[in-house]
Amino acid sequence: MTKTRGKLVAAILSGAWRAEPPALTCTSEELAAVAPLLLGSGAAPLGWWKVRATHLSEGEDDAAASGLRAAYRSQVLQNAVREREIEDVFGRLREAGVEALLVKGWAAARAYPAEGLRPFGDIDVCVRPGQVARAAAAIEQSEARLWVDLHDGFATLDDRDFAELFARAETLRVGATDVRVPGAEDHLRILCVHLLKHGAWRPLWLCDVAAMLEGRGAGFDWEHLLGRNERRARWVTCAVGLAHKLLGARIANTPLAGAAGQLPRWLVPEVLKQWDAPYATRQAPMRYRAPMRAYLRRPAGALADLRNRWPNPIEATIRVGGAFNDLPRWPFQLANCLTRAAGLFAPRRRTASR
Amino acid sequence: MDDKIRRRDPHARSEGLVVRELPGEVLVYDLERHKAICLNRTAAVVWKHCDGRTDAAGIARRVGKELGQTVAEDVVWLALDQLGRDNLLRERAAQPVELAGMSRRELMRRAGIAAAVALPVVSSIVAPTAAQASSCLPPGAACTTGAQCCSGSCDTGGSNTCL
Repeated sequence: MTKTRGKLVAAILSGAWRAEPPALTCTSEELAAVAPLLLGSGAAPLGWWKVRATHLSEGEDDAAASGLRAAYRSQVLQNAVREREIEDVFGRLREAGVEALLVKGWAAARAYPAEGLRPFGDIDVCVRPGQVARAAAAIEQSEARLWVDLHDGFATLDDRDFAELFARAETLRVGATDVRVPGAEDHLRILCVHLLKHGAWRPLWLCDVAAMLEGRGAGFDWEHLLGRNERRARWVTCAVGLAHKLLGARIANTPLAGAAGQLPRWLVPEVLKQWDAPYATRQAPMRYRAPMRAYLRRPAGALADLRNRWPNPIEATIRVGGAFNDLPRWPFQLANCLTRAAGLFAPRRRTASR
Repeated sequence: MDDKIRRRDPHARSEGLVVRELPGEVLVYDLERHKAICLNRTAAVVWKHCDGRTDAAGIARRVGKELGQTVAEDVVWLALDQLGRDNLLRERAAQPVELAGMSRRELMRRAGIAAAVALPVVSSIVAPTAAQASSCLPPGAACTTGAQCCSGSCDTGGSNTCL
């Protein structure tokens, strides 16, 4: 096996979001090496989608292939159950008069050719600023234990105004309820920024970008996708470029073809390094052992946990609003650390979400 | 005889189930038992024809018509046995006298001899621990800092779980 595990992940997921994915070229040993990474990062169903048409899918004894298949079957059902929860949540929000948009998860899964290919865990809901408390109260009334990530507007996801996104949103039917999702351009932009904001560690998020990009409609507005802020436009272009470079997303004949091909030298190796072990527990903030405030009282172990808090360069660049270019990343990483350290002394904030 | 076994025509359960059809198989999630089940095509077609008004012989004829091959009644009984065990029938179907008391293995052998179609298989889906694609943890999940939780709040003073 000569390819790194990150490169193998990229090879297996290349084109996996298509109805007819490209042929898979990997050995059963390579698949066995990568299957735990796909399972651990939520990309197992896509792995199966790619493997199913190959000889690797035939042997029931092949633990890697049958594990991917079982994950796919399981995900089809889990997504169906989660869809009922979305119906429940949006029904309640509607009754409470809350204006809400569903982003990522289910909304991103629509870009895939079959149910179950794109798992969705939490339900990401953005509500009109000022309506969070009402939304949380409405969701609280459900008997089901719902996993909702409630956002007050879009501040944590993008710089666009809620009213603007809401006006451009699409209305879709989920069961007996109408659900609004961002328009294609806004949603692709959200997915690009979200991917980078989390250091691009989850391969599935890049598949989302690729799937939405290739599934765009004829009237797709590239200018609206990029927006007026040049730095943010470059972020989006880099995310699209990553989808092209690592997963083979088709960008020829798009206005981004040229710029997306010119990625900063450090970007692709950094993403592949993340994909060598794409597990949530290795990412910030999941890898933090305790809040830094706790170390103010009891400093033992603080140094080791400080090391855990050194951000990855992609994440740091986004979080300090930096430019994606060939300059070294450590100033952004340091700036991000200092910003967060300053937050230690700021008053504590509690988000109204459930 | 088990209390749940009645001499009525088999009737598929529909409440409390989430059903999804895939090529060549049907997946079922039992919301009451939190169990995922996979039916192969033969089992799925038998299940579909369990309308509470058709006996096993009638189901065999309908299944045979749908699959384009003759289907022996024993094949239907084998499917009903498995569907009943996985609570996919309103009531477990009572087997005819000549099959009563037979183990599933014996039933499979008998059905296998008579079968021109693939034997029905109803199996549990045992998926390896697969990750979701979320970027934060749900209420009740183990946490060490509030930033890990969707709620932004981790009970670091007690249970160390997301609030």
